[in-house]
Amino acid sequence: MIDSLTDNLEQYMNLVSLRQKLVASNIANADTPGYKTQDLDFQAAFRSALDGGSPEAIQVAGLKSKNDGNNVDLDREARLLAENAMRFSVASNLMHGAINQVKEAINLGGKSS
Amino acid sequence: MSLFSALTVSATGMEAQRTRAALLVENIANSETTRTPGGGPYRRKDAIFTTEDVGSAFGSEMDAQLAGSTLSGVSVAGISVDTSDPEMRYMPGHPDADANGYVAMPRINPAEDMVDLVSANRSYQANVAAMSAVKDMIQKSIDLLR
Repeated sequence: MIDSLTDNLEQYMNLVSLRQKLVASNIANADTPGYKTQDLDFQAAFRSALDGGSPEAIQVAGLKSKNDGNNVDLDREARLLAENAMRFSVASNLMHGAINQVKEAINLGGKSS
Repeated sequence: MSLFSALTVSATGMEAQRTRAALLVENIANSETTRTPGGGPYRRKDAIFTTEDVGSAFGSEMDAQLAGSTLSGVSVAGISVDTSDPEMRYMPGHPDADANGYVAMPRINPAEDMVDLVSANRSYQANVAAMSAVKDMIQKSIDLLR
């Protein structure tokens, strides 16, 4: 959009929001029999997103299944929910700074003429 | 790839948990009911949850093009009615007692339903928390324009 940093930030925010959507979906299905927890391999997804690839949701391994075959761990999802919100906040603050820089340049240019 | 679809997912979760809580409360309220329109004692009801693909309120076609993966919400697929035999309790003075003095009572364990109710409540709260976190993220994106 503005420079490569903001492009990367945009990808990052896209990925974090996709992950947040998966977390919301996991929480909604916390009591659905047979549902398996979905998540992103964030590092790999980010690397592929920078190369123009599209992220893919995977089933999380190593979670304990309940008797009904559901393996959603609400505590894990609560942690990710908070983590994603904070990551997104950092990214959006950085993006805000970048946009404000451009705005400032435009405004100063207007004053000097 | 809009964040709004996450709000829809949380909303489906809240709706499903609310339905479940309503059924549990109905079970507790009717734990001693011996007469129903269909005849016989009240029978325990349970919600059956199933995953359901969710698109955003609009632009779901575009979502499908961009995201590739669809989001799963939850919906109530049906309501299961307990078909096990009613519990026969010896109450000779009861108007619904049979010839031997036994009354068919609903097979409901209020303690079990109370525990399920707490669990439904917790799940509902988790959905509310998810919705509020996503709402904050959307607000942050809007604030970028300030």
